[in-house]
Amino acid sequence: MEEEKNTQSEENESEEIRVGVYVCHCGGNISDVVDTKAVVEALKKNPNVKIAKDFVFMCSDPGQKLIIDDIIENNINRIVVSACSPTLHETTFRKALTRAGLNPYLYEHVNIREQDSWVHKGENEAATAKAIRLTAAGVEKIARQDPLEPIVVNAEGHVVVIGGGVAGMRAALALIKRGLGVTLIEKGDRLGGRALELDRVYPTEEKASDIVSQLENAVRAEKIDVRLNCEIELIEGFVGNFDVQIRGKDSKIDKVRAGAIVLATGFDHYQPYEGEFGYGKSPIVVTLPEFNKLIADMPQSDKFTYKGKDIKNLAFIHCVGSRQMEGVHQPQADGRVNDYCSRVCCTATLHTINKTLDKFPNLNIFDLYKDIRTYGHGHEDYYEKASKRGVTFFRYTDDSIPEYAPSSNGSGATLTMKDVLTWNEEVSIPADMIVLATGMVPRDISNLVGMLKLPTGTDRFLQEVHPKLRPVELANNGIMIAGTCQGPMDITESCAAAGASAAKVSILLSKKTIEMDPYVARVDEAKCDGCKLCLAECEYKGALFMAESYAHVNPALCVGCGACVAVCPPRAINIAGWTLDQFDGMIDAISMEELEPATVPA
Amino acid sequence: MGDHNNMKILLITTMISSYPGANTVGQAHLHYSPGTYIIRVPDPVVFPESFYMRCYEKGIDGIIIMSSGSDCPYEGAYRRLSERVARVYVQMKENGIDPSRLKLTTICTVCKAAFLKEINEMQKNILQARADKEGVAA
Amino acid sequence: MSAATIQKKADVLVVGAGIAGLQASLDLADQGKQILLVESQPSIGGRMINLSKVFPTLDCASCITTPRMASVAHHPSIDLLTYTEVNKIERTNGKFHASITKKPRYLDETACIGCKRCEEACTTFLPDEYDHSLGAKKAISIAFTNAIPQYPVLDMDECLLCGACAKACPTQCINFMQEPQEIEAEAGAVIMATGYNLTEISAKKQYGGDIYPNVISPLQMERLLAPHGPYGGVMRPSDGKIPDSIAFVQCAGSRDKSLGVPYCSRVCCMYAIKQAMLLSGSLPIADITIYYMDIRAFGKGYEQFYQNAKAMGIQFVKAKVGRISEDENHNPILRVERQEDCSQPEEVTHDLVVLSLGMVPAWIPDRDGIIPLEIGEDRFVRSVNEKITPSLTSMEGVFAAGTMTGPKDIVDTIVEAGAAATEAANYLRSQEGR
Repeated sequence: MEEEKNTQSEENESEEIRVGVYVCHCGGNISDVVDTKAVVEALKKNPNVKIAKDFVFMCSDPGQKLIIDDIIENNINRIVVSACSPTLHETTFRKALTRAGLNPYLYEHVNIREQDSWVHKGENEAATAKAIRLTAAGVEKIARQDPLEPIVVNAEGHVVVIGGGVAGMRAALALIKRGLGVTLIEKGDRLGGRALELDRVYPTEEKASDIVSQLENAVRAEKIDVRLNCEIELIEGFVGNFDVQIRGKDSKIDKVRAGAIVLATGFDHYQPYEGEFGYGKSPIVVTLPEFNKLIADMPQSDKFTYKGKDIKNLAFIHCVGSRQMEGVHQPQADGRVNDYCSRVCCTATLHTINKTLDKFPNLNIFDLYKDIRTYGHGHEDYYEKASKRGVTFFRYTDDSIPEYAPSSNGSGATLTMKDVLTWNEEVSIPADMIVLATGMVPRDISNLVGMLKLPTGTDRFLQEVHPKLRPVELANNGIMIAGTCQGPMDITESCAAAGASAAKVSILLSKKTIEMDPYVARVDEAKCDGCKLCLAECEYKGALFMAESYAHVNPALCVGCGACVAVCPPRAINIAGWTLDQFDGMIDAISMEELEPATVPA
Repeated sequence: MGDHNNMKILLITTMISSYPGANTVGQAHLHYSPGTYIIRVPDPVVFPESFYMRCYEKGIDGIIIMSSGSDCPYEGAYRRLSERVARVYVQMKENGIDPSRLKLTTICTVCKAAFLKEINEMQKNILQARADKEGVAA
Repeated sequence: MSAATIQKKADVLVVGAGIAGLQASLDLADQGKQILLVESQPSIGGRMINLSKVFPTLDCASCITTPRMASVAHHPSIDLLTYTEVNKIERTNGKFHASITKKPRYLDETACIGCKRCEEACTTFLPDEYDHSLGAKKAISIAFTNAIPQYPVLDMDECLLCGACAKACPTQCINFMQEPQEIEAEAGAVIMATGYNLTEISAKKQYGGDIYPNVISPLQMERLLAPHGPYGGVMRPSDGKIPDSIAFVQCAGSRDKSLGVPYCSRVCCMYAIKQAMLLSGSLPIADITIYYMDIRAFGKGYEQFYQNAKAMGIQFVKAKVGRISEDENHNPILRVERQEDCSQPEEVTHDLVVLSLGMVPAWIPDRDGIIPLEIGEDRFVRSVNEKITPSLTSMEGVFAAGTMTGPKDIVDTIVEAGAAATEAANYLRSQEGR
């Protein structure tokens, strides 16, 4: 490939630069303000320009034909069109170049409508001078342009999905149905993840075990390569070409090659610290997952007995481990508080409260909350039902977090707080048992985070590139995320995220190769003196590295930001299509005093 | 207006936000000085300090870097850019170029008013810098 | 003289080119599927392109939407029809057949260059629906500055037929006699992405949203806040005064059985907080109050956003607003029953009030026809496998994306649109060789 490049640039050196310039009237939109004839005449004097023309509508078929004919008949090998914004018609004209057999990147589109004639009405002379300078700048840029080819890398038609919970299974199924190979890696000894802990799920009231078996059966029916009791040892490579080493229970390492990776590593329950609302000190304080497990198989009864004791008053406390405030809550191990909302706990708590009342209708239930966030489809019904069934709601704030005190006889406890709903009255709530609605924290995947330099947010969850532009992709090209490794979500939302990740993977691997824009860094090895200054500027692991005493770019990992370009003393590194020499040429044209174009040798 | 027309202001815009922003100004047929020249780049972080100094040498009166700010898609690029601009200011002072002739700002795809404001301010800065220089000379 | 019916064929027919339809189309087209994307409005971009900034990143909405709109418009695998209605979709022999009508813009789109000369020449002013009637537009106009495509629509009902536009047009593309164009399309699968409407501002009579000029809808506030909004700043509609005291009334169209909207609309807390933050940025001395039942900041980064708003000094008052009246200067007066500190109802006067309206489906199959999908009690299209495959509708081969299945924010909409694209692609594959 390197050799090919060299021959190409040699060819270019021998080839004469023959620029064709075309100035569009845009039916008066440009020509009423800009003297297009004057632009043409001025550009004709540029030594690189062999042909300059103006036309009423360059984007029309006859306009495009002018260009195509000049390429074929007059050996024009660089094209500049001065017209509207490139966002409108750059692709139109690039396609015309392709049709004429010319490399489409040898095209420069100069904006003399949105950024000239439309904003300088009444200053025709100045607008014309500006159009001449801008067009000349376009000529200088394209005269210094090599033909470019898209970057092409192999795309392995196989995907590694890490995590065998609902999101992981869902993603694996969507991908295998797209015709891709899938390896599904699960740390535990069975598929299903956190859903295995649940009884019934809101709002459909399906058995969670049914959801898991529905997915698991589908996974087993397809040719998905399921690896239980396995962990990731090492991931190397780049988009389209990842090498994944999987360590099995017997510590044997197996290698899988994958075009893309889906992370579905899930969440952990927040674990209250000892003494948080009495947790760990008194057996009557349990977390919501613990409570759900406890009552799952209990028969309906007019009495609720726990550890040999009749429970009459049951209190639920929301936001344990979530929505924490600095200075109010005890920080986590990394010194930060969990300042995020865990999204699912409000509805999960009210769902559990209703289920509990179904079984034990005589219980008194107290619900201590900050805000009730029953946002989703059917969620509000659980809140309304709980209110109708006599659940007593108390609202607390960070200024008045419920205080836990074991009762003197040791069998129960009192929760004391100011109730915001009743004029900040101090209330004491007797509780025979306390359930803490604990939030979500990300699963510990520090090995993967460290190995791949995965981006995480201040909440420690994996951080997508952009919540709206690229919500299921990481900055690491070829690595997608699905489910609660990204942040708290319920099963529906996790499955939607898994489907979206599958779409992104399918796009990436829909062909045998991945084509990427050529606008990435390129090193002129003859100029590079190996000073390594560029390396410190690169934020993308593996994109820029030293080998054989000069800098190398992995075009599959480079994003073309240009941070490296600015620090290279001999200008050995440049972004293809946007080189500093091109910009210097443009500045020369823009700053020329006389409107006779400067004779800048390309 | 005459004063403004013998002025050259370079606007460095980004493909993702301020270049389309300049188009929005055009689509609204608003007016600004024809002495403004817009170039677009993936990210202004590409330019070394020497690029800016060369522009002033060549006769560019003012440069406005219209970055994407928080919309910047490139890791760490905005931080590097602002650090570089700080170094350019030092070089400008050393070379007797009024630092108000360089401005780093953020322009989005629909920031029409902000776009015009930046140009107007730069024009004022350039006139002031010229007056200051003449004052010193006198 | 009406032209002959045009025949079209695609892998997937996508109905609605808001952010959900755009994303689903792109996710399918990028996999090589041929898409026919149909939008009833003159421009693509849906509700989102109309917003100022979006939570919780405060990115400008246009900046997030425009690149996607451009990608769709230029995509070689997407056939885009704007200002076009889908009349009926039927499934026969495993294929979908749609009857579609392209409404006349009264100009030749192949000749129009989007130069707006017609718009400049036109002398008839109309209320601008893009600005929610806060601003004005011409009888022939491009929907908004960054509309895609950049073709105007001539409003034939209001046009005086003076011919000024036709005279001004450099390409002679205006055609006052243009007829609707009928189109028959065949597709292997369908994605419906028909979006939402806000609940009617007049629905809650006690609030007088349709009577008092300074009681406005949140989408009107979006336009006031937009950098290219109708007034070029935040002013109240009655007298152009810059408001010193602005209130948001939460759940003004949701969680309210009396309105037939018992559900939570999911986005109102966050858009109110966002608007409050933007207001406090542009009007630093204004008092901003949000009257709420519960603050539901449940998404990624939302709680932190809420806490930032509190730290900025925005007042959050847990209260019910019983009714709204106004004084002689059109200052809205709110009857507030606080649910904290003091429970005595009190009357509070503000300069401007935003009713945080909820979401209802824009298209309801049993009301609007087109295709008979099952709906839920909330009248949104029902998912038949909500937990595992939320985009699955009651009809095989028809998938749902975005707010047509229930209120949701932009992030959730975009994710779900991707999931719908995956389901549609997999469905097409399952049909191959049948």
